[in-house]
Amino acid sequence: MAAIEPIDLTTRAALPRRSRFSGLVSISVPDRIALTALGLVTAVALLAPVLAPHNPRRQVGSPYASPSAAFPLGTDEAGRDMLSRVLLGVQTTWLTALLVIAIGVLLGGLVGLVAGAAGGWVDSVLMRITDLFLAMPAAVLAISVVAALGPSLTNIVIAVSILWWPYYARLIRVQVRELAARPHLEAARLAGCGRLRLVVRHLLPGAVPVAIVAASLDMGGAIGLLAGLSFLGLGTPPPSPELGSMTASGSTQLLTAWWLAVCPALAVFLLCLVSNVAGDTLRDLVDR
Amino acid sequence: MSRSTTVAASPPDVTATDAPLVVSARDLHVDLSRKQETSHVLRGVDLDIAQGEVVGLVGESGSGKSVLGLTFLGLLRREARPQVTGDLSIAGVDVLAASEGELRLLRRERLGAIFQDPMTSLDPTMRVGAQLREVVDSDAEAVELLEAVGIPDPQRRLRAFPHELSGGLRQRVMIAIAVAGDPQLIVADEPTTALDVTIQAQILSLLDRLRRERGCSILFITHDLAVASQVADRVAVLYAGRIAEIGPTAELLAAPKHPYTAALLRSRLDLSSDRARRIVALPGQPPDLRQPPPGCPFAPRCSYRRDKCEVAPPPVLWAGARGVACVRAAEIDLLEEVEGGVAWDSPAAPADDLPALRAVDLEVSVARGAWLRRREPIRILECVSLEVAQGEAVALVGESGSGKTTFIRAAAGLMPVTAGLLEVGDSAPQMIFQDAGSSLTPWLAIGDLIGERLRAAGAGRTERRAKVLDAMEMVGLPERLFKARPAQLSGGQRQRVAIARAVIVPPRLLLCDEPTSALDVSIAAGVLNLLGDLRRRLGMALVFVTHDLAVARVIADRVAVMHAGRIVEMGPVEDVLRSPDASYTRTLIASIPGLRDQGR
Repeated sequence: MAAIEPIDLTTRAALPRRSRFSGLVSISVPDRIALTALGLVTAVALLAPVLAPHNPRRQVGSPYASPSAAFPLGTDEAGRDMLSRVLLGVQTTWLTALLVIAIGVLLGGLVGLVAGAAGGWVDSVLMRITDLFLAMPAAVLAISVVAALGPSLTNIVIAVSILWWPYYARLIRVQVRELAARPHLEAARLAGCGRLRLVVRHLLPGAVPVAIVAASLDMGGAIGLLAGLSFLGLGTPPPSPELGSMTASGSTQLLTAWWLAVCPALAVFLLCLVSNVAGDTLRDLVDR
Repeated sequence: MSRSTTVAASPPDVTATDAPLVVSARDLHVDLSRKQETSHVLRGVDLDIAQGEVVGLVGESGSGKSVLGLTFLGLLRREARPQVTGDLSIAGVDVLAASEGELRLLRRERLGAIFQDPMTSLDPTMRVGAQLREVVDSDAEAVELLEAVGIPDPQRRLRAFPHELSGGLRQRVMIAIAVAGDPQLIVADEPTTALDVTIQAQILSLLDRLRRERGCSILFITHDLAVASQVADRVAVLYAGRIAEIGPTAELLAAPKHPYTAALLRSRLDLSSDRARRIVALPGQPPDLRQPPPGCPFAPRCSYRRDKCEVAPPPVLWAGARGVACVRAAEIDLLEEVEGGVAWDSPAAPADDLPALRAVDLEVSVARGAWLRRREPIRILECVSLEVAQGEAVALVGESGSGKTTFIRAAAGLMPVTAGLLEVGDSAPQMIFQDAGSSLTPWLAIGDLIGERLRAAGAGRTERRAKVLDAMEMVGLPERLFKARPAQLSGGQRQRVAIARAVIVPPRLLLCDEPTSALDVSIAAGVLNLLGDLRRRLGMALVFVTHDLAVARVIADRVAVMHAGRIVEMGPVEDVLRSPDASYTRTLIASIPGLRDQGR
């Protein structure tokens, strides 16, 4: 007897012929564009070595050639094709960001799940540890980790992952605690479910959508942070193509060869934009 | 009322008084959309309310009664993209043509609203006084208002936040706000549904007094015919967005002319219902308002259906002050004795004479405060002793906070026992929760949920499937729902899933926590019949928690009345209800709203 809510369509005479994913079929045009862009970027990242017209590490033209039909984004100081370098940079940045987020979700999700499901002192201890990580200033922590371990792709992933998991731990814990207060857990307990089954089957699936939405919204932030660290020279060492370091080295020649800095910077901007918009779309789809 | 005078026409002057009309709605249609789907929630409603008149709007969930109230208030949610057509004039204002500013003025000067849950409709961050000051000019006036709605010590309550007041007091504050500007019309949407029965009686008499003193009209929305009969001059029965029947309260209840009204009255339980038989339940469910049927919306569930019913929606035909939307109203005689419910089967013989539940001096306390910050625990149950024999049904009745739910939660092993003895035998008791929807894991399929206990018992996949389908058939769920998720089911179906899950391996003891209080009357009757059947067939003992004495009487052999954590009275259900010993039991019985005892 939901009295105040104007729509009360609890009267479902026939079983609706809707699968769990039918929401994706009826999405609006802007949402569709956002999701398509997300798929396109991921495809470009995965296929970058195939799509790149030239070897990004070899000299293929004269240095500092401005954009032309042969080299759509020009060449850099060593005569390497900028388009190929940006494509490979997109691959590195996008896949690294995905990896960081995945590690964050898995690690944070595990901590949050255990804390939320166990409660009591386990919860308190795990959350205080999480607080400890959250209390450290993000950029400073990442810089010091990379500085301590030396600049490399692996170390940057480690550094950013350390920054990232506590947010997911908090998020998942709240979600799990909310779910755990629902009677369906007690009903499952009465139905004879063991502890593990309760958590894996009756608790965890409810937290997954929230984690997916948060993760997709965080992609932009992760990309920005990764590119930022490599801009500061803490990422992959120079010869290999990476958007942040390319922007950094190109920025010194901004007036003579603008494309060196602008192209990789634009790529970072586009990646952030696509992941943010797609994240918003995903959130709307999950919420409604 | 002569049947030959029946004419099809727009409603004549049928209001209870000669006073001018406050509300005049003609052919009101409201469509609401969610996602890409449009529901035709109201489909051609005509309704007049005269100055000083109380109209009870009765309907089940999804009938559109709340939407009608919100349409009157101009408060349909914009996200639902409401499309309203027809004519609606309230206090002389053409609501459908009015601008947002005019509507706001109308609401402020002429309208009042009372909703079901004052905890959500009052602002939790504002003191009562501050909220009243939004509608009155001075604290003195606010105090006067609080006094008028019967709030003791009003000066002190002005400083209180809503959460510091009891449910009854909160609803009184809401009523004070609603009547503050001397409105011409108050829309009261299920104002007593969330309240205990003794408080409900007080609020109903308060509303009755206020409309007498202030002469305002009330649209009283409720799912309960008995509640409507306490306050309403006229009753309108709404079904699937159309008025099924409308007329003066006493006449309509004494001699319903629409099959739906008659069925509602039959499936209603009171203290004189026949305990020896199953309740006469209304089969089926209301239609899907996304694709309403072309004919009479009630036809699919109607035992008087003819082919002509399915052609076009029947208009309301008027005879004097009574209107009925049934093409066969003149032909059928609803008063003729319909065959009553079928008698219950005799119960299965108990396997042994061990009690299914034995509690001796049970005490349950709950700790307060978080880890490392414990405070004094609260004692919820004190010295509760109860023995339930094999196959016996015991109802626990009492108001909220009496400890009845705590008792069965303790019996289910969901709450630790602080002191005393609690034995439930070697098979774990099963429990049916009040809100079936939240007791089912939302992302699991019905078949998996029902089969869960078999899996725990180690049954194989094919064996599980066969047994689940058997259980689904036993509780009246169609096989096609095997792979459905809980959200795709109706409230009644969900409760049946919960029951199937509990009895797929029959427990010795089945605990029920108000399993029908969230369901509509016609749906609840079916669930009660099912529980009564299953416990007899499977030889289960039943402990049934309810706040409704009429339900307790039909479902149980014995009743235990709980108050403030103790059992204050216990005995065979008929004896206790006929000659209650405890004064508290007498209060409970007196507070039940009856159908025809219009208390004035």
